[in-house]
Amino acid sequence: MKMFSISHKTAFVVDHCPYMAESCRQQVEFDMLTKNRPQGVIPLAPVSKSLWTCAVECSMEYCRILYDIYPTRKLVNFIVSDSEFHILNSWNQADQSTQELMAALAAVGPPNPHEDPECCSILHGLMAAVESLCKITEYQHEARTTLMDKADRVSNRGRIICITNAKSDTHVRMLEDYVQETIQEQNKLAISSDRLMQIQQCELVLIHTYPFGEETLVSDRPKKEEEQHANTSANYDVELLHHRDAHMEFIKSGDLHPAGSTSRDSGLKETVTLKWCTPRTNSVELHFCTGAYRISPVDVNSRPSSCLTNFLLNGRSVLLEQPRKSGSKVISHMLSSHGGEIFLHVLNCTRSTLEDPPSISEGCGGRVTDYRITDFGEFMRENRLTPFPDVQGSEVAGKVPLERAKRQLERHTRYWPMIISQTTIFNMQAVVPLASLIVKESLTEEDVLTCQKTIYNLVDMERKNDPLPISTVGTRGKGPKRDEQYRIMWNELETLVRTHMGSSERHQRVLDCVLACRSKPPEEEDRKKRGRKREDREDKGEKNGKDSESERSWQESERLKAALERDREELAEAEVIKDSPDSPEPLNKKPRLEVEDVQPAEKAKGPVSLLTMWTNRINTANSRKHQEFAGRVNSVNNKAELYQHLKDENGMDPHENGKAMR
Amino acid sequence: MPTVVLMDVSLSMTRPVQLDGTEEFQRKNLAVHGLTMLFEHMATNYRLEFTALVAFSSLWELMVPFTRDYNTLQEALNNLEDYDKTCLEPALQGVSNIVQQEWGSTCPCQVVLVTDGSLGIGRGSLRHSLSTIKHRSEDKKFPLPFPFPAKLYIMCIANAEELQNSDTLDNLEQLLSLNGGEGQIFTVEGPLCLKNVQSLFGKLIDQAYTPFHAVLRCGNLSSDVQVFPRPEPVIMDEEVDPAPRTILTDLEIVGFIEIGDISSPPVLSRHLVLPIAVNKDVDEMGTGTTDETEEENSANQMAGKSPNFCVLLHGSLKVEGMVALVQLGPEWYGMLYSQADSKKKSNLMMSLFEPGPEPLPWLGKVSQLGPTSDAKENPYGEDDSKSPFPLQPKSKRSYAQNVTVWIKPSGLQTDVQKILRNARKLPEKTQTFYKELNRLRKAALAFGFWDLLKGVADLLERECTLLPDTAHPDAAFQLSHAAQQLKLASTGDSQYAAFDHNITPMLTDFSGSGSSDRDRM
Repeated sequence: MKMFSISHKTAFVVDHCPYMAESCRQQVEFDMLTKNRPQGVIPLAPVSKSLWTCAVECSMEYCRILYDIYPTRKLVNFIVSDSEFHILNSWNQADQSTQELMAALAAVGPPNPHEDPECCSILHGLMAAVESLCKITEYQHEARTTLMDKADRVSNRGRIICITNAKSDTHVRMLEDYVQETIQEQNKLAISSDRLMQIQQCELVLIHTYPFGEETLVSDRPKKEEEQHANTSANYDVELLHHRDAHMEFIKSGDLHPAGSTSRDSGLKETVTLKWCTPRTNSVELHFCTGAYRISPVDVNSRPSSCLTNFLLNGRSVLLEQPRKSGSKVISHMLSSHGGEIFLHVLNCTRSTLEDPPSISEGCGGRVTDYRITDFGEFMRENRLTPFPDVQGSEVAGKVPLERAKRQLERHTRYWPMIISQTTIFNMQAVVPLASLIVKESLTEEDVLTCQKTIYNLVDMERKNDPLPISTVGTRGKGPKRDEQYRIMWNELETLVRTHMGSSERHQRVLDCVLACRSKPPEEEDRKKRGRKREDREDKGEKNGKDSESERSWQESERLKAALERDREELAEAEVIKDSPDSPEPLNKKPRLEVEDVQPAEKAKGPVSLLTMWTNRINTANSRKHQEFAGRVNSVNNKAELYQHLKDENGMDPHENGKAMR
Repeated sequence: MPTVVLMDVSLSMTRPVQLDGTEEFQRKNLAVHGLTMLFEHMATNYRLEFTALVAFSSLWELMVPFTRDYNTLQEALNNLEDYDKTCLEPALQGVSNIVQQEWGSTCPCQVVLVTDGSLGIGRGSLRHSLSTIKHRSEDKKFPLPFPFPAKLYIMCIANAEELQNSDTLDNLEQLLSLNGGEGQIFTVEGPLCLKNVQSLFGKLIDQAYTPFHAVLRCGNLSSDVQVFPRPEPVIMDEEVDPAPRTILTDLEIVGFIEIGDISSPPVLSRHLVLPIAVNKDVDEMGTGTTDETEEENSANQMAGKSPNFCVLLHGSLKVEGMVALVQLGPEWYGMLYSQADSKKKSNLMMSLFEPGPEPLPWLGKVSQLGPTSDAKENPYGEDDSKSPFPLQPKSKRSYAQNVTVWIKPSGLQTDVQKILRNARKLPEKTQTFYKELNRLRKAALAFGFWDLLKGVADLLERECTLLPDTAHPDAAFQLSHAAQQLKLASTGDSQYAAFDHNITPMLTDFSGSGSSDRDRM
């Protein structure tokens, strides 16, 4: 296949000389007798088209079909020739429409029969056509720019379709020679220009027009063929034009006889009859389709055509069956519209080489039964794609939509256990608000509040000793004790949030909140040492607890507002806690870190848990993304001493200080 | 890609080979040895490949039709008898027929021709076939190029030195070029012996039968997979972009789309995506003792029990009726989906789109697809009732807009009738009347068909005279106004014949629906 084949550029040259104003001498009745018409009215005389009208109609029909089947990359340049040439449009894609051309043609009007024929010539138009073929198209320019030093791979071919009245064979040869000479001249000029290209190949189609017979354009539609589509139920046919590859299988299989092939262009018989097939197909079925080609009805306004096209444009599909040599039939094509364009889909109708494959349940991971299928479905919905307008310079800003989609997938999967028994937090409705927010690229202040509220809610659940959906798969007895369950849950929540801590300062704050709130390892569970603040929170926690029972109604704005009010108060407190050195709370962090740090050392002996593997992997991945915290860099055994400046100033160990305050 | 093994069983294949060892071998034995190795490789690493075995001499016979049962193939191979002379052309024709009958003419195939390189003498020899190639009638064409995309691998059970004495290699090369250069000729390096034949078939295996392994990723989730059949390199435009494009071994999911939105897209090829065990040991345990197969089984069982991303993905794609869009290379995409066969088995399947930035017009440029969360409003609607697809093209197609085509008289007649029908229902139909009138006017001006404008003007004037007494007075005014305007346009006077100009209804003093029509215009 070649991107810049002959059909990339077609120059139409239509003769506008006085001769073309002559009647084609074919009369069209337009005053037809109709019902409820008074008797005795004599119909008006029929009208007759001029040669010019015939030529314009045919070339417009050519363009209509061309733009239907190849809306891009196949360009037409329309030129009219009389005493001079008139170029009606350019190669620009924006100029490629029948409406534009019709408007331009109306401005030209029919030829003036009184003009001096000696002044007029089709040669003006042919010269303009050759010049025009030398002009680079947007597509050629783009390809050359992309290929840089290999720009010479972009070729320049084209076709001139000239509709004129040829006086004799000598006249035809003269026109051919003229085009040949002009190409040579123009090619010389083209060498020295960036906007011009040499013509490597040019096909000249001369269409001779004369009265008593309308010219036809049948032979000038390369790569297109007619397909007859028979609707058996209503007994009418709709002829469609489309790319000939749509019948490749058919042609090769010999079902279509290449009989009477004389030249390479007409080597294939043009019409294939396919029958409307009754079984309807629905849009959610994914057919194995090997090609899809745009179609155009031959007789666009006929009733059968518009019935079919409207049926398709309304979103229905039609399966078509094809007769075979053997007499059997097979469903071979499907007509379907997408966004107002009708396509002929080629369906695979031969035996599949992939038949009878081993089922996915027989392969790796096939025996696992508790995949989070529904959750991943939800994940897929969240990661559905949508088109964005192509804005210039978006690549520079790193905002190519697809790259953003990939980045979102990366964020959403930083911690994503695949099976139900591997996770606790994703089985808890209470975690949902945080889990869906934390994966966001950036958080709003409100998002942070929601996350914190989720965390406080969990604290409250723990205080009330609510049961957790911990998997008991593979464990003996009743599974872990309640406080152990919460430890597992907090660990997992921390893992999730930790994978996002580098995303923004607000993500970090959510992590801080988890670390501040999560339950302490048993040795730290010294309830008597709880500070006054903690008791305060219990009161509030109860309120939050009620909220969690009616979680679904959080949507109600009133409640939400109230909840946010409370949380804001709490947040204020939390920040006081964080900032104030006399608060006992931040200390909770340190012992927990110790516990976690010990873990890998212990686990190193036995097999590493998936969670640890994940955590390690994510930590390594994240550590590459940000500069390491100064504290961790300077730490000894992953322990960094806080408030060193206080020590320097007061000569007092801040840790001691904290304890002293209790 | 199904394989046809075309085995030469002519008498020359029974020529003995001098070996250092004790046993005496025929070339046929060496060929069978090599093919046995190929079949064993396929049975372990490429077991979904369909293979057929054809034996040929002056006649050809389909020994084993396409099958995945490599034991049957092996058995048939072991029981091949010896026949007369080598006639390649009918055998290639036979291969062509067999493949087309089974797979049609679009399915790519591999043909492995195994021969000693003695390609016959006189009539029926390859040399003779090739020399007459240009003087064939339509029904006796040489079978190459095959009507289906085919790779032709020629395995010569002979070394290059002995073949140099004849024109065998030239003829075989001509055969390859007839096949569009698709394929390769392999000859034995060094003396003919089991070891060198093994390395000969080893080269074929490396070339054509190495499984394609890749990593399927979705963000941080991933799975090792085998893609079967192996995706073959694709050339998009031999002129501008002649380098064949191969798919990456890192297949990255970029997002998800509903099946209804992607709606049966055209694809280059379809492939099974089979998760494979990360444990390399399992792969390397190929041929061997029962001990090893047991170990392999247990390893497979282990692999079956550890969660795999492919299975999760497959399950959710199936339940949700969605596909995953996957990047195969720079500006090359495909889709992953669940495919169920008639036996209710289902599988993860990958289809490759044509390389390019915009493989499906109804999706637009793939690089412009982004996450829904970036959109101001959820394009799928809060209740999933909408969809941003299909993308609407910039311009409408002819059948979706009201184009005017008068090539057949019926087209013109229908349009005139429409105007007349509305003319008789004036003033109720004032708006449609002028709409149709203006459509006709525009087309007539573009086609330079001024006579028609005059004709329709006459027609409207006559209608005016035929109006019944009961007609609304506005009807007569509008008809003569329209007729007058058409007549003015038919003069080509730039003041009245401008394409963008529209004839507007005449302002009259009559109240009623006519005037409200006007207000709307």
